[in-house]
Amino acid sequence: MEYLASNKIAIIDLATRDIIEEELEDDLVLEKIGGVGITKSLYDRFADENPIVLGTGLLTGSLVPGSALSVITAKSPSTGRVSHVPLTLDAGMELKYSGFDYMVIKGAADKPVYLWVHDGIADLNDAEDLWGKDVWAATDRIRDLMGDDLIQVLGIGEAGEKGSDLAQISINYWQSGDRMGFGSLFGKKRLKLIAIRGMGLLEIAEPEEFVEHCAGLLSALKSGKTSGMKGIATMAAAMGEADIEGWLKPLTHKHMACFNTPVPTNTFVFLDEDPALLKETSVAEPGFLLTDISPLLTLKRLGLTAADACRILKACAKYGMDGAAVAELSEKTGLKDPEAIKGSLPNLKGPVSSSGNAVFSPWAAVGNQEPKTWMRREAVAYIFGLHPIFALMAPELTEEKLLEISSLGTGLELTSETLDEVIADITG
Amino acid sequence: MGLKIDVLTCTACMACELACGYHRDDAFALLSSCIMPYRAKEKKNYVGLILKEEDSLVAARPEGLEINRIGEEQDPGKEADASAKPMLLREACDLCEDADDGPLCIKFCPVNAISME
Repeated sequence: MEYLASNKIAIIDLATRDIIEEELEDDLVLEKIGGVGITKSLYDRFADENPIVLGTGLLTGSLVPGSALSVITAKSPSTGRVSHVPLTLDAGMELKYSGFDYMVIKGAADKPVYLWVHDGIADLNDAEDLWGKDVWAATDRIRDLMGDDLIQVLGIGEAGEKGSDLAQISINYWQSGDRMGFGSLFGKKRLKLIAIRGMGLLEIAEPEEFVEHCAGLLSALKSGKTSGMKGIATMAAAMGEADIEGWLKPLTHKHMACFNTPVPTNTFVFLDEDPALLKETSVAEPGFLLTDISPLLTLKRLGLTAADACRILKACAKYGMDGAAVAELSEKTGLKDPEAIKGSLPNLKGPVSSSGNAVFSPWAAVGNQEPKTWMRREAVAYIFGLHPIFALMAPELTEEKLLEISSLGTGLELTSETLDEVIADITG
Repeated sequence: MGLKIDVLTCTACMACELACGYHRDDAFALLSSCIMPYRAKEKKNYVGLILKEEDSLVAARPEGLEINRIGEEQDPGKEADASAKPMLLREACDLCEDADDGPLCIKFCPVNAISME
């Protein structure tokens, strides 16, 4: 595909270390549009080889408001279903500019490896010195090695290395929307991490019209109901848990957005520094970026202080374990002591309900939406590459508008009938 | 006339950087933008905005504005910032002189952290 894409799919065999590149054909885009439409198609093609498929949405990394999302599709060890988890923060955008639109990772390495994806090149490298490191240390190490602090790292910690079904693929230092246990898939494949850096350029079929439509959408959003919303507590308020904002406020340093997402849905808390500090702190690791509201709600319900809850989630992030699963299991077993919860991580086992019942990660939750409506909206977000929480909040991003912008961007005629077919295929 | 940056309002979403890249390349890219959020100290959540102007490199930091004249010798005791190097090689901000309705970074900032002064 000539526009809004790097026009490349990488097929990576960890067992043989062969990496094959294919073109992203227009016909595949016309049939499956993008994002999860194509990752699911690639998963089905390589299903016998237990693949992990990474992919970008059709509009990921563009000026369309909320275009932060890439996706990982694989068979969830938690649910046994082929499932999809979101890559947000800056990782989804970085993949789009890395020179690959989609990557299929199949087979298993015989010793630890990492995948370095940059400038249209994908390399497998030995990761024996990274294996055994926690998520934070591994991220630091790979960034030091490459001399670039903006490299985005999809990695696992000890939980993934041990094959725990509660293990998560983290984004840099932080918890991701992986509630499906995909971290254990990395561990079983001996894939410690994927390091991504994007310096690419995406051509646009009709640039002026495309950008004007993006500006129009942003203008509508700025006068809409999401205007002024900020922080992780925004989602809690929509769930009737408004008091969590006051609970977190004494720790709140700043609310942070994912790439080109108008509502900053993440909140950085300072745990070992004054949250009001404006200058650069001398503390190396002063706090934690909260990216998932669900475990916070559970830990608050257990009676923990905000600081203790955030420290538990920081420990989960370093260990590479899904905080929502940890919070759920702590509640089930009545564990309320923060040190005991942190100490329980190596031996925690599911099953957990935090993986949800859908093919999409239940991480994106705003209010109590009717399941069918939620599923359709998530499918749209995962196809076009929109932040899956923001997509739930922003009705201005209509399917018709997204199809129109996509056609302007790609020069391909994409129809609502095709979108319906792709959604039906994904959601079964 | 120039850009005014409210870095405390900025959420580091990079919309300004992408919009600026579009102004330069008529495509989506981040390599030629003259404005970019400073994201290198992720664990400390220390963010700001860097702007390349004709004669200076402006660092809008949370604690205040720092203007470094290009070509002038910097304080030797000060730690060099890796982010400054690629910015120095880029074209300076022209306030999107060919745009009818002003700089694209202002137009695409979702939280109104950038304005004209």
